[in-house]
Amino acid sequence: MTDFTYPSVYFSYFLFVLLAGGAVFFFVRSLKDGYLGPNSEEPKYRMLKDDPDDVETQPTGAGAPRRP
Amino acid sequence: MAEAVKAIQPGISSTAAVASPEIHHDTTVKWFLLGAVGYFAIVGIIALIIAAKFVWPQFLGTIPYFTYGRMRPLHVNGMLFGWLLAADMGLAYYIVPRLCGVKLWSEKLGIATSILWNIIILSAIVTLLGGYQKGLEYADLPTPVAVLVVIAWVMFGVNIFATIATRKYNQMYVSTWYLMGTILWTAFVYLTGNFATLLPGITGVNQANLTWMYTHNAVGLIFTPAGLAVAYYFIPRASNTPLFSHKLSMVGFWSLAFVYVWTGAHHMIHGPISQWLQTISIVFSIMLLIPVWAVVYNFIATMKGEWHQLSDNVSLKFLMSGTVFYLLTCFQGPMHSLRSVNAIVSKTDWIPGHAHMAVLGTFSFIAMAGVYYVIPRVFKTTLHSEAAANWSFWLFLVGGLGMFTALWLGGFWQGWQWNNPSIPFIDTVVALKPVWMVRFFSGILIFSGIVLFLYNIWSTALGSGKAQAEPVRS
Ligand code: HEM
Repeated sequence: MTDFTYPSVYFSYFLFVLLAGGAVFFFVRSLKDGYLGPNSEEPKYRMLKDDPDDVETQPTGAGAPRRP
Repeated sequence: MAEAVKAIQPGISSTAAVASPEIHHDTTVKWFLLGAVGYFAIVGIIALIIAAKFVWPQFLGTIPYFTYGRMRPLHVNGMLFGWLLAADMGLAYYIVPRLCGVKLWSEKLGIATSILWNIIILSAIVTLLGGYQKGLEYADLPTPVAVLVVIAWVMFGVNIFATIATRKYNQMYVSTWYLMGTILWTAFVYLTGNFATLLPGITGVNQANLTWMYTHNAVGLIFTPAGLAVAYYFIPRASNTPLFSHKLSMVGFWSLAFVYVWTGAHHMIHGPISQWLQTISIVFSIMLLIPVWAVVYNFIATMKGEWHQLSDNVSLKFLMSGTVFYLLTCFQGPMHSLRSVNAIVSKTDWIPGHAHMAVLGTFSFIAMAGVYYVIPRVFKTTLHSEAAANWSFWLFLVGGLGMFTALWLGGFWQGWQWNNPSIPFIDTVVALKPVWMVRFFSGILIFSGIVLFLYNIWSTALGSGKAQAEPVRS
């Protein structure tokens, strides 16, 4: 039986390979940069204090950064 | 809080990680977000019209501009590109410079992108209502408008990547990863759906195959990573609680990167495509449970001991309901990829029930949380009305639940009927009228939520300067 879907299948799989290849490349780079290493939790603390211009926006104070 | 952070991470001083004061102009953020909220309301009216047409098919029927075939693509594209993607882009312009500790690379380029984006949405309204469309789901925009989308996306991508390139810190927070992924994946996905589908030889089932690959990846590789980037930023910020695990978030990111792209063909199960292609899409659809679980576990664990904050924090209400909807959507997805379940629910009203839980219940909720958080901050004022914000949340939640459940139940029932050849097709249409009625009335609740959201956000922006908020400095 002839499968007439090959043009789109070839195209899709070409794209999949391109995207999967890119993902492998950047994944390995991220490992080298220590993203799954011992210091990988640091960004989550830094992001909590990333905005010096922050303002209190709700009268109740909810959601605003608490004053230290 | 600062002490707690220092205690856990002694290497970080309370000020060292903070960028110098008043560096963010946020003009692009304001333009994108106010525009997105405006389109949300305009396209909300279109949503109500098409929902009404299901119940009263004659409604506005003979006026060509208001026919279902023109209004449905306008609703879909208007919500996806005019509201949701524009809101996510506006939030990205807010998040990335802050996470990188630097200014946005070019505010002028950002404003130009926002102007172009408005031209695109206005052209979409004119062309789709005029009946000019490609007839491909989510890729309905005529080619010249799609070319403008590509140009705007390149402008957005250059600005965000150039900002990231100048960042102060080596290790990037997970939201930055997701946003970089969104920009690159969108380029591939959008070009496939809008241009590759038009290549010579790509006709019939080939075109359908590529279109479904695009359609599914539009949700999975555009709106999912953009929405998750926003949620990963605003859940910790709005609750002022560190993310449960950054490492787990990276596991989620990479598993999404490897798994999502292979799933598009699950829209063609039992269709005229190769069995092996269907099987691959089913296997990868089930594997999607890995990134989803990594994300949901992280969000819920972050909130451990902090759930009380939901009572007076509207952004968190939207974020955590969005998380629950994300879990439900992504449980449904793998299940209805299975051949047996798919044989019942495919092409029924179950699918818009599922689609709305994803794009409205999950990603629009997350985007609204971001907008409620960001708009008062960029205008340096207080939110116009917390009560109205709360009302908008409940209207969205009740309306959303009404719509999703009616469509799932109705869709399942419709599927059973379609599988019984003795029931004439028209009987299955008539039988669904009560379901569509529920969707219409739920739509009115949702639309009322949109109007309150618009009123609150625009009033906050227009009234800014009157109630100056107090800066918070550590
Ligand atoms: C007032 C609330 C809303 C109502 C009443 C509504 C109604 C509808 C209707 C009647 C359809 C056509 C379904 C069909 O062809 O069977 C539809 C499709 C769609 N809507 Fe909405 N909608 C609403 C909000 C939204 C929002 C907020 C978004 C996105 C942010 C959205 C995105 C979509 C998408 C992507 C589709 C196509 C679904 C598919 O292909 O299965 N809608 N909507």
